[in-house]
Amino acid sequence: MSFRIGLSAVAIALGLVATPVAAQEKPSTLGLGIFTFTSGPAAAYGMPGKNAADLMLEEINAKGGIGGVPVSATYVDEAQGAQGVIAEYRRLAGEPKNQVMVAALSSANCLALAPIAEQLEVPTVGWNCDTHQLLLDGKSKYVFRPNGNTVPEFVAYAIYLLDRKPDVKTVAIINPDYAFGHDAATIFKAALKALKPDVEVVAELYPKLSSPNYQTEISRLATAHPDVVFSNLWGADLENFVRQATPRGLFTSSQVILALGETVLQRVPMPDGVIVGVLGDGWWMSPDAKENVETVKFAAAYKQRFGEYPVFPSIKMANTLIYVKAAYQAAMQKNGGKWPTRAEIADAMKSSNVATLTGTTQTRADNDGLVDQIVGVTMKSEGRSFPLISDMARYKGNSLMPQPGQDPIAWVSTLKPEFAKTLPKPGSYK
Amino acid sequence: MSTTIIPLLLDSLASAALIFFAAVGLTLVFSVLRVLNVAHGSLYSIGGYVAASVCLFIASRQLNPYLSFVALLFSAVFVAAILGPLIERSLVRWTYGKSEAVQILITFGLFLILEDLQRLVFGVQSLYEDSPMRLLGTSSIGGVVYLNYQILLVAMAVLVVVGLRLLINHTRLGRLITAVVTDREMAQSIGIDTNRIFILAFSLGVFLAALGGALATPTSGIAPGLGADTMVLAFAVAAIGGLGQIEGAAVASLIVGFARVLAIYLVPSLDAVAPYAAMLAVLLIRPYGLFGSVTARRI
Repeated sequence: MSFRIGLSAVAIALGLVATPVAAQEKPSTLGLGIFTFTSGPAAAYGMPGKNAADLMLEEINAKGGIGGVPVSATYVDEAQGAQGVIAEYRRLAGEPKNQVMVAALSSANCLALAPIAEQLEVPTVGWNCDTHQLLLDGKSKYVFRPNGNTVPEFVAYAIYLLDRKPDVKTVAIINPDYAFGHDAATIFKAALKALKPDVEVVAELYPKLSSPNYQTEISRLATAHPDVVFSNLWGADLENFVRQATPRGLFTSSQVILALGETVLQRVPMPDGVIVGVLGDGWWMSPDAKENVETVKFAAAYKQRFGEYPVFPSIKMANTLIYVKAAYQAAMQKNGGKWPTRAEIADAMKSSNVATLTGTTQTRADNDGLVDQIVGVTMKSEGRSFPLISDMARYKGNSLMPQPGQDPIAWVSTLKPEFAKTLPKPGSYK
Repeated sequence: MSTTIIPLLLDSLASAALIFFAAVGLTLVFSVLRVLNVAHGSLYSIGGYVAASVCLFIASRQLNPYLSFVALLFSAVFVAAILGPLIERSLVRWTYGKSEAVQILITFGLFLILEDLQRLVFGVQSLYEDSPMRLLGTSSIGGVVYLNYQILLVAMAVLVVVGLRLLINHTRLGRLITAVVTDREMAQSIGIDTNRIFILAFSLGVFLAALGGALATPTSGIAPGLGADTMVLAFAVAAIGGLGQIEGAAVASLIVGFARVLAIYLVPSLDAVAPYAAMLAVLLIRPYGLFGSVTARRI
């Protein structure tokens, strides 16, 4: 009996050892697990990502797939909560055809999935995942973020604001009540304090995520009479806030910064002069994007299919899939054209430099991405029913990022006004 | 601080109006049917979805935009007329006289069904239609710009309280409801058709829930998940006011609205817990709510 058990154990062990070898055979289909919000208020941000993935994968498959293998995606709705997301991740990772996970949108889900990705040794690419806490320890082997993170994203807003409105004295903040909102406020305040210490924060509000009504918060902001209102609300929350704040005059009484404002430009009327950006370089109408034939084609196809132009979550997703494809190509080039293992794909992602639809994404030693930051202001445009971004500055990805291993908030606190003077000015990117 | 008192009070009233609409139907249904309807929040969000859909239809056909006000009311009547009798006859009637646990389980099941049905019928993404809000314009009060629609909501809430009071105290239907609430068996024995009263009362509760959702939509939009949030808040208000007490729901809405607004103005980090802290404080002092009383068990 014990001999049989022993044989079984050996067989199982051999099977486990044999799995990576089997994975190197070219599969009939390459599966990707793609995590985004497809329902609920956050779907206003998540669905453009899914739409872009559908379109990009069609395009990749039309050109022969990746390494001759067609790509298929299994979408996971992040609205089900972290427990469900983790269970789905484990289930998808258990299927050998799913070699890479594109996960996730929510910073909270990214943080929850990162240790599992390391444990299961599955290359996991954060297509959104803004939180700077994700790769803070610099030890990640399988988690990558080919985007910027909250540090360059929100330092960029502080620098742009001080260039555009150098006499700012008071600031109010309204951000969602979870890590992304609080992190953004901490970074934005730290940058302002370092670059203009006399700026006073007169109100800080953190409404619950997916809150439908902001009327009281708008009154509170109005009574504080701030020079500037900063917000990183997103998805339906942002749409609701803009719809409710516009008629109540908040956009005329204060300079408003909507860090994710580009996502609602085509949906909600917004006055001129609102500072908006794309948390990276992913604007389909940026000068670089307009010069890229692939981007123009992608934007036209997106508009034709979905009735509106891609917003920056769409571009982030498209760029992520380009990044994944580039990793496969690099891995196959390195191993002599064989189908790569998960470890080889992760290895190819390390220190890569990939041309995207809107610029480049460079992966640092800590697996974090270096991506430029575009910030500008809304302005009506002739021939379009929605405002565009004008008076833009494009900050180099590495100029606003602390070095790997450095405490990000401590780094932000060391910024000097002289440093800001060396950076591009509003209107310089055209 | 003095410059914020008027906005603070106005915001409290506006917030209380919205909260009242979410809770009054729940408390009315409990007062007549003695059923705690956990699906109440779903009926609120269905009212919102129907109203938003009808208003979007009006906008897409470029009909007179003022029709959207009629649409808000019509949507609530429509939802109540369809779902009220259907739910009461098919599900709720089986819970009469059963334990609270059974009632809660059955209406919770209904809540889950209605939430999924909403996703199937209205989709999973947010709906917005703010024509009624834009049509009414704004007013500057205490140095802050308010939507006239917010002021309309306060007036509507007052109208509903007065209307319900008149209905209960000064109409035949109201007297019949009072008789059923006071002693169901006695009411039956003197020939009152209690089944009809139950259908009417439940449908009125559905109407109030749907009206709350419909009236909230122009300023808030609507998305999946709203039903659950509304339900929790409605329960807090009903508990503070005393289950089954309409005036209690009105006063509790004012307390919750004021607590929430005060938190946003002074201690924003307590915004989410303020309504429940108020509930805890009231229930510690008056365990049956402000207007509730101990009911003797009849043998």
